[in-house]
Amino acid sequence: MLFFLVRRAIAALVLVFVVTSGAVLLAGLSPGDFASQIGRRAEDIAQDRHRLGLDLPASQQYARWLRRAVTFDFGESFQYQQPVSGLVRERAANTALLALCALLVATLLGIPAGVMTGSRRHGLLPRLVRGLSLILLSVPPLIGSLVLVTIAARTGWLPVSGMAGPASFVVPTLALALPIAATLERLQSQSIREALQRPSAMAAASRGIPGARLVWHHAWRQSLGPLLAIYGVIVGSLFSGSFAVEMVTSWPGLGALMRQALMMRDTYLVAGCAAAGAICLAAGVLAADVAHAFADPRARGAAGRG
Amino acid sequence: MAEARPSVVAAALKPAAARQRGGALFAMLAAFVIVAPWLAPYNPGRQFDGYPYARPMRPHLVDAQGSWHLPFAYPLRLVDPIERRYEEDRSRRVTFSSDEPWFLLGSDSLGRDVLSRVLSGARLSLGVALVSTLLALSIGAFAGAAAGYGGGWLDAALMRIADVVIVLPAIYLVLALRGALPIHLTDAQVFAALVSVLALAGWPTAARGVRGIVLVEREAEYAEAARALGAGSWRVIVRHLLPATRGFLAVQATVLVPAFVMAEATLSFVALGFAPPAPSWGVMLGDVAAVQVASESPWLLAPAGAIVIAVFVLHSAGSGRDPLLWGRRDT
Amino acid sequence: MLVSCSGGKPAPEKGASATGPVRGGTLIASLRSEPATFNRFAPTAAQAAVDAVARLTQATLVRINRVSGEPEPWLAEKWTVSPDGRTITLTLRDGVQFSDGAPFTSADVLFSFAALYDPDVKSVLASGVMVQHKPLQVSAPDPRTVVVTLPAPFTPGVALLDNLPIYPKHLLEPALRSKTFAAAWGVTTPPASMAGLGPFVISEYVPAQHMTFARNPRYWRKDAAGVPLPYLDRIDMQFVQSQDAEMLRMQSGSLDVMTQADVSPENIASLRRLRDQGSVQLAEPGVGIDPIMLWFNLTPGGAAKLAKTKPYLQRAEFRQAISYAVDRNAMTNTVYLGAAVPVYGPVTPGNRTWYSDAAPKYPFDPARAKALLAGLGLADRNGDGMLEDGAGQPVRFSTLTQTQHIRGRTAAFVQEQLRKAGIVMDVVELDPQSLFGRYAAGDWESICYAFQMSAFDPAMNLDFWLSSGDFHVWNPNQRAPSTPWEKQIDDLMQKQIAAPTLAERHQLFADAQRIFGENLPAIYFVAPKITIAMSRRVGGAVPVLLDPKILWAADGLYVRP
Repeated sequence: MLFFLVRRAIAALVLVFVVTSGAVLLAGLSPGDFASQIGRRAEDIAQDRHRLGLDLPASQQYARWLRRAVTFDFGESFQYQQPVSGLVRERAANTALLALCALLVATLLGIPAGVMTGSRRHGLLPRLVRGLSLILLSVPPLIGSLVLVTIAARTGWLPVSGMAGPASFVVPTLALALPIAATLERLQSQSIREALQRPSAMAAASRGIPGARLVWHHAWRQSLGPLLAIYGVIVGSLFSGSFAVEMVTSWPGLGALMRQALMMRDTYLVAGCAAAGAICLAAGVLAADVAHAFADPRARGAAGRG
Repeated sequence: MAEARPSVVAAALKPAAARQRGGALFAMLAAFVIVAPWLAPYNPGRQFDGYPYARPMRPHLVDAQGSWHLPFAYPLRLVDPIERRYEEDRSRRVTFSSDEPWFLLGSDSLGRDVLSRVLSGARLSLGVALVSTLLALSIGAFAGAAAGYGGGWLDAALMRIADVVIVLPAIYLVLALRGALPIHLTDAQVFAALVSVLALAGWPTAARGVRGIVLVEREAEYAEAARALGAGSWRVIVRHLLPATRGFLAVQATVLVPAFVMAEATLSFVALGFAPPAPSWGVMLGDVAAVQVASESPWLLAPAGAIVIAVFVLHSAGSGRDPLLWGRRDT
Repeated sequence: MLVSCSGGKPAPEKGASATGPVRGGTLIASLRSEPATFNRFAPTAAQAAVDAVARLTQATLVRINRVSGEPEPWLAEKWTVSPDGRTITLTLRDGVQFSDGAPFTSADVLFSFAALYDPDVKSVLASGVMVQHKPLQVSAPDPRTVVVTLPAPFTPGVALLDNLPIYPKHLLEPALRSKTFAAAWGVTTPPASMAGLGPFVISEYVPAQHMTFARNPRYWRKDAAGVPLPYLDRIDMQFVQSQDAEMLRMQSGSLDVMTQADVSPENIASLRRLRDQGSVQLAEPGVGIDPIMLWFNLTPGGAAKLAKTKPYLQRAEFRQAISYAVDRNAMTNTVYLGAAVPVYGPVTPGNRTWYSDAAPKYPFDPARAKALLAGLGLADRNGDGMLEDGAGQPVRFSTLTQTQHIRGRTAAFVQEQLRKAGIVMDVVELDPQSLFGRYAAGDWESICYAFQMSAFDPAMNLDFWLSSGDFHVWNPNQRAPSTPWEKQIDDLMQKQIAAPTLAERHQLFADAQRIFGENLPAIYFVAPKITIAMSRRVGGAVPVLLDPKILWAADGLYVRP
């Protein structure tokens, strides 16, 4: 088990490295850069570019960054002229907090709902939940958060922006969690339906095991496979979804920083934000794989190999 | 007793009729995507002067005097531009062939008919989303199956690549890509570029899920039996293991399609989008991305409604069943 | 100093108990971007947020009154100008201290100038405190006197000093000497280690959330009654990510002032409703001074590229035809919902002192546009409703603009108007840095964009008017004027900056506007009418057309209980 964890930790580091390298490399290939401006002397722009190393070919820029990165120096932001790690840390913590809350809420909502609609095919409640899931799935996070913010603003029950006190968590968390809960519900529903059709489930039913126990104790564990496999991806999508939500609710997270950095082509800062995302994704995937190995013995062999 | 092949049997037990209906629904959706622009009453780029943010004009059959006509609407007149307040003129009637416009779903900020734009945008946005989803799921399914079945270095390599793709800011890739392309792209070229980018961005999720399923299924006895009978790896994968992933892929489709429509809006922000006046749904929704505008002119959210309808149709097609199970028994 | 909202409709004041200013209280303001640094001199400081912070915490020798456009004594209590207009002697106020108690003297002025022109700092402010790209000479004969020598005749001379905040030598001289000045006073600097001469000091900075400004107890200004300014105890500046979020807060009463104050046309209706309820005041200081412009690539490189295929893009008649072909009234009503006025040149009626109504106008006239295009050999040769040139090629050009912005919408509107006239304009929406990159590479035919003006006086915008200027966007940095009319404008502007009286300067500039309008290197369509919203608590505000539209006079703001 320890060997497995160490291997995955190394894989996570490699992931972070590849992602940040990709960001730095690609930035060098794009038209326009941080120094581009209308209305400044061409010589001044060229001087700036030289100072920041942007006039070098992409490969050389990358080599420069690499030399610093191996000493864990991720460079300075062009805009702020401050070390990237300092800028990213606090905001990444805010986004991670929001993402964790949303993940929790989504799991607590989506999994039970999926089990319910997957095991009980008929009745008004499963139909309603299924329909609601589809609607939540198809509404993009941007529109969803707009709707929630409008409701919150009209009713005045909840603060609509900023991060100040537990009540301000509600709107952003819901906006982020609901589409993911819907995804989880859909996947869980389909997955448990298939698990219930397996011979082992039919055998258990023929032994007289009551419905709820059958569902939760026997079928559910086996249905977790596809779910846990993409749990890590869901963590990744939490980050991208959080950008839209953060914008609408003015949540002080990574979204605004990354958006600004992308717009201004602040290369090292983008790489830093991407690194934060990569670390969280790796952690999420790792946690999901470990949970998968525990939950479904059949996948343990793969976990040992993975 | 020999264990019957589990999920495959279950899948095979699905009545052929249900699967056929699924196929028919999907074909209908694809047909709609192609045909929709011809259904639009007006040119989607046409800006009607003096009609910004006009509200939807209801169809009537009976006019104020009580006489019957073919469906018509009362023309609107802009009373206060800043308030965007319109007044109905009940003394005249307009149809689609009149000079004055009939906005069945209202008009947008430049006075363009929303219904025409939603219908014309279907081919662009829904087309991109459907094709990208198909591509992403295909690539993902095969990559995931190969990783889950083969194991070892292939598994590790594919999954690490998948992880990188998930986290890499696709924006930079698109920016670099855009820089290499000529400054003006035709709609067809943008379509191809978007499909490529989205399919590349979307395959990892499908791959991970398929891998998870294949990992489990390949240990099942039916698979071992097939191998014992001499079936080659690929045959086992395609004929026996992949069908087990069908359910998961169907759900993925319903998740990916709306995500891709919105991704198109994000990509248009970094210059890889349909150029104006092309009515892409993603850009239309991007323009409404403000609470003030959305609450005062809610008809501008029509593309979101269209996406919801498309997802419902897709879901029915994928599961071969009415998602709400209106009075239908399960298989 | 106690001027209430000027211009436009009077604001109804419901239930205000005090009609005069009240000392104390907190103002809640919003900022749509975070400052990248607290150092106004830094090379990356070209941002609205940094400028707003500087206006609150720093002071200049001379302040331009944004209402009258005239310089008024600020840190300098009086000045005299030599007869040849080249030397200005300023007398600094006595007894002024920085917020940390250190005395303010002419040494700080010299230090600030040194930092401004320092080649290692490469300050963004430098170009605004120069004449003809040459720095000013500064000397300090005694602690209360500063002598500024202009390198060339420049009538508005003292107005340049509005662009230079005076920084504390005692805190920053080590940084300048060790060449770390540009990175000094970044966002992680502890607030207590900074000091300034402005009405407020930074007391707290929470990244991504908000920053707090506290009253500077040593601020040198007092109001007419001798009460020390500023009235406010505190300004709580929230970082809010979109104007939509600002509007939500304004509606719920948790926002007093938007720093980037002008409101988009769609939001004006709901603000008027709030005003009628009494929770919001609106001010309309006039017509904006930075309209959207559409300009063409008139550089030698561009001309060479287009000479074979689209020579008509270089002709003034083509641009005039475009100007005639666009219905500006329709644009006003559609894109701006009626809250705009048609304009035909870079100077709008909002710039009351300098606007010349005699400049050529191009009212909507499709027939005239058609005639002008026919004169260039562009006509509908095959009956498809679109124009072709002599070789049968369709008349078509591309324009770069910004995505998801009113500039993009303006371009889409113009595109449709030109289509009716038979011209195809392809709109290419880009993010700003890509747009700038393509601009620098010369890889463009036309661009549809807008720039923020920082001053009314055209002498402060020479980079735009002179053919040698960096901001002469259609053909920047020319060694010699490439066309006769560019030479005419150059001569007029050179005379204008040295002409002694306002009347003369006005006449010369009116001529320059006329020549600009005849040759149309850039086409202008409309200028929005600016609407500014504040909560009803706010008093003492002087809304103006230059940014920061309310916080420029923050020391006079107060909040009613």
